[in-house]
Amino acid sequence: MAKAVGIDLGTTNSVVAVMEGGNPTVIINSEGNRLTPSVVGFTKTGERLVGQLARRQAVLNPENTISSAKRFIGRRYDEVQNEIKNVPFKVVSGPEKAVRFDIQGKLYAPEEISAMVLRKLVDDAAKYLGEKVTDAVITVPAYFNDAQRTATRDAGKIAGLNVLRIINEPTAAALAYGLDKKTSETVLVFDLGGGTFDVSILEVGEGVFEVKSTAGDTHLGGDDFDKRVVDWLAEEFQRDQGIDLRRDRQALQRLTEAAEKAKIELSSVVETTISLPFITADATGPKHLETRLTRAKFEQLTADLVERCAGPVQQALADAKLTARDLDEVVLVGGSTRIPAVQALVRRMTGGKEPNQSVNPDEVVAIGAAIQAGVLTGEVQDVVLLDVTPLSLGIETLGGVMTKLIERNTTIPVRRSETFSTAEDNQTAVDVHVLQGERELARDNRTLGHFRLEGIAPAPRGLPQIDVAFDIDANGILTVTARDKTTGKEQSITITGSTQLSKADIDRMVADAQQHATEDRRQREEVEARNNADAMAYQVERQLHELGDRAPMHERARAENLINEIRQLVQDQSTDMARLRQLSSDLQQLAAGLAASGYAQAAAGGAGSAGRNGPQRDSAADDVIDAEFKPRS
Amino acid sequence: MTPAEQRSDENSSAAPAEIERLKQELSRAHDMRLRALADFDNYRKRVQREQDSAAQAGKRQLVLALLDVMDDFERALAYATTAPESILTGARAIHQRLTDLLQAQGVVPYTSAGQPFDVTLHDAVDAIKTDRAPSGVVLDELRHGYRWGDEVLRPARVRVAQ
Repeated sequence: MAKAVGIDLGTTNSVVAVMEGGNPTVIINSEGNRLTPSVVGFTKTGERLVGQLARRQAVLNPENTISSAKRFIGRRYDEVQNEIKNVPFKVVSGPEKAVRFDIQGKLYAPEEISAMVLRKLVDDAAKYLGEKVTDAVITVPAYFNDAQRTATRDAGKIAGLNVLRIINEPTAAALAYGLDKKTSETVLVFDLGGGTFDVSILEVGEGVFEVKSTAGDTHLGGDDFDKRVVDWLAEEFQRDQGIDLRRDRQALQRLTEAAEKAKIELSSVVETTISLPFITADATGPKHLETRLTRAKFEQLTADLVERCAGPVQQALADAKLTARDLDEVVLVGGSTRIPAVQALVRRMTGGKEPNQSVNPDEVVAIGAAIQAGVLTGEVQDVVLLDVTPLSLGIETLGGVMTKLIERNTTIPVRRSETFSTAEDNQTAVDVHVLQGERELARDNRTLGHFRLEGIAPAPRGLPQIDVAFDIDANGILTVTARDKTTGKEQSITITGSTQLSKADIDRMVADAQQHATEDRRQREEVEARNNADAMAYQVERQLHELGDRAPMHERARAENLINEIRQLVQDQSTDMARLRQLSSDLQQLAAGLAASGYAQAAAGGAGSAGRNGPQRDSAADDVIDAEFKPRS
Repeated sequence: MTPAEQRSDENSSAAPAEIERLKQELSRAHDMRLRALADFDNYRKRVQREQDSAAQAGKRQLVLALLDVMDDFERALAYATTAPESILTGARAIHQRLTDLLQAQGVVPYTSAGQPFDVTLHDAVDAIKTDRAPSGVVLDELRHGYRWGDEVLRPARVRVAQ
């Protein structure tokens, strides 16, 4: 069966995606890019170029290079007067006042131009997939009227495609986040692209999307932000050097590239350097442009552009008769939504709601379209949708830390096991405390259950081997089993619902972990330092015991002092880590001395290797008494 | 016949619909498994195909960034005519080392000036009305184009006669 693709046919760029093994994948075009410029050029030799290649010859051939066909599709000549002023190619009135592009005397409908873009996307997709592509879902803005939708569908037909469906861009974006699975939600989609800005409010329920309102600005986008930086750079330069770089096409191009790069960098850092050596020259010699741009300055330069986004959001809410409080989800679309100030505005306008932005905003619409295509061709149903564990799973180990056996986002079904040991001599039982969460300490995580494995044969600490296995089946049911390797004794617990947490709970727990990461790591290190010091004390004590009278008095006394002091610190839950580490290190040296000086022929090896090295980890201490462990009945 | 056997006979005769349903389910499950295997196989093949280019893709970002610096260096050399000869010779030697280093990686510049404009090799920045060259011929390069093996790594940025 041929694959069906999802196509985001954009004003400036287009993206195509496909479902592969149940996952949407963006297809890389023949030039190696994920975005394809929605540009078609007709050369003087009669050649037709689409995408990047068409863009490269645009300045040589402006009147025969069509961009932004989307602004004209399905519209009448008298409706597009404002758009005509912005384009270098010839737009004329065709049959029934429809828009036509006049290319060297030949008339093309906008849908024919869009068809050429679609054809390239689909051809590249076929090459990438190694199979024919015939079916597609194509997206359009929510405000497109019937004529514009029909014309877009026609573009697909002209391109030889079977257009499965035309869907709204905001709907596609919501699909990419799986919001169609919610029972009843109000979603605001904020789409700030390269050259257009759209706000849509959707009502989602049981897989049905209803557009409640749309608003926007057809001429506002990332390019405007770039231009502000270009103007600022050029004006600063003109003030210092008296030369307007914008008059020099080469300099302007370098400026524009540098401005876009700076804008992108300022989404992740608060200051960036713009360096354009030898940008121009005059009688006095070459000139360089070298300056720093802070995020604060960038925000000042673009504050009014960001503010222009506010009006349409208010408008869309008012038209839908809603307030920010009524919104359940916010979805960000378009590369410019990566700008921190834009995100801050969205948060401010939507009552502080955390927006969905984990899917690449340049690709989220095409991904949603691909998902829709997969649903329509039945592919999505056929594929087993593999679930993942939303949070990490593990057990509590010595010192109250959580030892993870299954990391979050692991695809299920899955089975993981590890070997643990005892923390005390002659410990005959271990408590297995099953935990879920991202924090380092057990007490900060969610308890899923407890059970106790008894009947472990008495042995020095660290010697018994207890296999703990976590098994999550395809239905998300977790079974935890602990088994003593020596006696074969086994105990287990089955927990359902470990994967059925609300998204809000999961997000909160993950955010918590991030927020406390530093402090948690420090606490965990403390616990580990205490565990290590305690183990060291234990080993040396055994060493002394086995050496008996062969250990010199002086060394024995020193070692015993150190051991006592370490035990005291460990018992007091001391946080003086420097002291503890110092004592451990002193004790270690002493022990090495004892072993090396020939007293310890028989003893050192066995005691030294107990437990600490290899795959073993110390398990829950015996003195952790919990009344509520739940062995499997 | 033991009671147990009897019961099992009764069951099988009583549920032909159940058998039919299970058969359908099995064939569906079988089909799904084959599809998943096929999907994975196709994926594996493509990953294999892309493995070589993936290794290059890793280098690409670095090389492209390096070419930007190379451009600046060449701009500097172009202006350096008034510098003392000794400095100039040294600077040219550094430039040569950088060129050789790129060449060792298979990154080679190509000449565009005087050639007919070609979208696969050139990115037009400006069209110049002139008699110096026939229309459609590259007048000069504002930035060199580079090949990487068979591929055009970076098109030349050019001005074209019109």
